[in-house]
Amino acid sequence: MIAYLVRYYIFTVTVLRRERKTKNLPISNEVNYELTVSVLIPARNEELVIGRLLQRMTQLTYPTDKLQVLVIDDASSDGTGQVADEFARRYGFIEVLHRDGKTGGKGKAAAMNAGLERSAGEIVLCFDADYYPQTDIVEKLVRDFVDPEVGAVQGRPVVLNESQNMVTRLVTLERIGGYRVDQEAREQLGLIPQFGGTVGGFRRCVMEELGGFDESMLTEDTDLTFTICLAGYKVRYAGEAECYEEAVDSWRAYWRQRHRWARGHMQVCFKHAFKVMFSRKLSAKEKIDGLLLLNLYFIPVVTLASFFVGVSIIFLGASQLFSALWLLMPLSFYSLAGNFAPFFEIGIGAYLDGRTRLQFLIPLVFLAYMYNMLICTKALLDLFAAKLLGKKQSKWAKTSHFGDRNRYI
Amino acid sequence: MQFKNNRLITILFAEAIVLCLIAAFRLINLETTVTLLIFNMLFTTVIFQLKGSVNRKLGLLSMGNIIGLFWSYIFCSLSAAGASVFGEGFNVVYAIFYPFVNFMWVVSFWSLSLALLAPAKNADTEG
Repeated sequence: MIAYLVRYYIFTVTVLRRERKTKNLPISNEVNYELTVSVLIPARNEELVIGRLLQRMTQLTYPTDKLQVLVIDDASSDGTGQVADEFARRYGFIEVLHRDGKTGGKGKAAAMNAGLERSAGEIVLCFDADYYPQTDIVEKLVRDFVDPEVGAVQGRPVVLNESQNMVTRLVTLERIGGYRVDQEAREQLGLIPQFGGTVGGFRRCVMEELGGFDESMLTEDTDLTFTICLAGYKVRYAGEAECYEEAVDSWRAYWRQRHRWARGHMQVCFKHAFKVMFSRKLSAKEKIDGLLLLNLYFIPVVTLASFFVGVSIIFLGASQLFSALWLLMPLSFYSLAGNFAPFFEIGIGAYLDGRTRLQFLIPLVFLAYMYNMLICTKALLDLFAAKLLGKKQSKWAKTSHFGDRNRYI
Repeated sequence: MQFKNNRLITILFAEAIVLCLIAAFRLINLETTVTLLIFNMLFTTVIFQLKGSVNRKLGLLSMGNIIGLFWSYIFCSLSAAGASVFGEGFNVVYAIFYPFVNFMWVVSFWSLSLALLAPAKNADTEG
């Protein structure tokens, strides 16, 4: 836990130093690197939001003769396919891949693999149906692929419905800490920025070499991050490529989303931890950061366990021990608050984004962390249960979107 | 004259911080002193890199130390009073909640300081 605290501290200081050095430098948009690009939009029952994204796709500044937008209508039972077909009729660069109940409905990774087969671009970008990107996001994401060693690039999601309620505000803080500081610092320090599966893209030839997405993984994006790095390619973070996303707006939806992330992340940890440790293609600092990243979702479980151990020690009367223990406990709690980013990292992220009022909510991120302790513990137990019973994950696990957040745009 | 005044203010703030640390160690306990030291370390290495005058930041830091000292003093007194009224069981409850109570002021004061120093670029987009 102290290792995580130190890691976040280094990240925060790194981003602050970099900000001071580069604040007067103009951001160049001059790079003219126009590869052919396919944008994959996997969608299952997204009729309420898909139109908004497709409309945005028609406003992109990237040349349409080098752009292919492919909607993967994965056995939707609502009007997702019809909305996408309507756009495809009007715009030549938009295509729709319909998957019926037999071929589709087997999860996002399977849908992405189907889309990958049909896509033609040298670079493949991915957007979830509820996202709303900047008009020049393709240029910003493609720019880093000028380096042939880069296998994937991740952009920055920004919460669209931040002012909706307390949950969306807390999620906003977590996202700010996670992307504005955490991912940015990993990029600056040459570590492993995480590919998030949306608002990002990868090089087609790398993906073909690696055999596509692993369909047994719940978080195929994290799995891809490590698969790419272990193959000797780099993942880059392009923080200036921003895209609005709909944050979960209730504690129940938060539980479902984080449970999926935690379980998937743990799956990836079991799959890649040893490979990362003994990889010859990763540097020592990449290995350390990679392992810390892989074990991230175990930390709330350890915190919960240590809390019970601490309480037991108190009741058993080992007073000499508990004094030292309780000095570490608050540090651990607060260093891991939120999306396991500490309060100082979230605070600096909010400061750099100029979010003055949001900063007052930082103490409440602690509630989200308490909640995450339960979520991650349940996810770990479920993962063990699934292993014992031999269950496989092969269906869509997604957050419902209702399209009523268009008013925030 | 302005320069001398600024230096005087800086020295006063620095003195206040040192006095708080000594008071925490002599009057309260080691845990409070360590908490204050961690707070000071985080504050000086992170917040001192942000925009704003050094005296303003030093002022916030010394205010944080004073708040932390009083916060800990109040809760330690509460623990002692609770133990004498309710018995040793109260100390167990206090020990369990100690991390939450002790660090609540750190995080709150941290966010308050950032808000006071922050340039509100996106205030119009905040809901």
